[in-house]
Amino acid sequence: MVQVIRSTVIAAPIEAVWDMVRDFNGHDRWHPAVATSVIERGHPSDKVGCVRRFRLADGAELREQLLTLSDAETAFCYCLLDTPIPLLNYVAHVRLTPVTDTDHTFWEWRCRFDTPKGREAELAAMVGENIYQAGFDAIRAHLNVEAA
Amino acid sequence: MARVFVSSVIPAETAKVWDRVRDFNAMPKWHPRIRDSRIEDALPGDKIGCIRNFHLQNGDMIREKLLGLSDYDYFFTYSMLEGPMPLWDYMATLRLTPITDGGRTFAEWSAEFECDPTDESDLVNGIGTNVFMGGFDALKRHFGG
Repeated sequence: MVQVIRSTVIAAPIEAVWDMVRDFNGHDRWHPAVATSVIERGHPSDKVGCVRRFRLADGAELREQLLTLSDAETAFCYCLLDTPIPLLNYVAHVRLTPVTDTDHTFWEWRCRFDTPKGREAELAAMVGENIYQAGFDAIRAHLNVEAA
Repeated sequence: MARVFVSSVIPAETAKVWDRVRDFNAMPKWHPRIRDSRIEDALPGDKIGCIRNFHLQNGDMIREKLLGLSDYDYFFTYSMLEGPMPLWDYMATLRLTPITDGGRTFAEWSAEFECDPTDESDLVNGIGTNVFMGGFDALKRHFGG
């Protein structure tokens, strides 16, 4: 089993960051790797259990299901259902926590998954860099803030 | 139940920050408001259940009991047994989390306690500012922030 953890500080109040990140169907608006996204069956994007079907910039199509959403803990959790890349039993957690002395936001993004032997390092790096770190940088650009 | 939550970014790798704060008896080394400290009954400072007996710079004595400690998740939790403040059922946790983007540390210090409603605001501000943020500011200075 592979685990990936990436974290950062966004120089913006947690309300602003959570607003952007909370929308399970909003990632095509800010994540550079995501071209289009739709919630299946017309469900609202904050319905726990809803499924987002999205297309990456390279054309790959994936489906992910929202498992947990908490405004109290500014956190959500989701899993991969369909993917052309061997990220098996992939479950990811996003959690935001306020940095009270600066009114900034600590963001932790983590996952675990299984994958065929030999591909662990490659896929851990892909998820950590192309999805998580790229996501952090994209939110920073969208909120127009410098690296904190 | 009153709650205090203070968090900050310490400009150092988490293992190094943990090294500095992990010792339940070492607050005089890193926290400017603590004058001296000892563990009662000569127990080791990382024995779950041990009690630290320490004095603030103004001479007030506080006794706190170590309830939990994790070198994996970088936190420790403790309760206050005796102290000068008008509160009771006080439990606090200091937790560190790595910020992988930049090799720094996210530090959280939280507490819950009971008190008279008229004392709550002063206690929350006093603990949050003097104890928690005071401690984090000292760590930030130590690590060059």
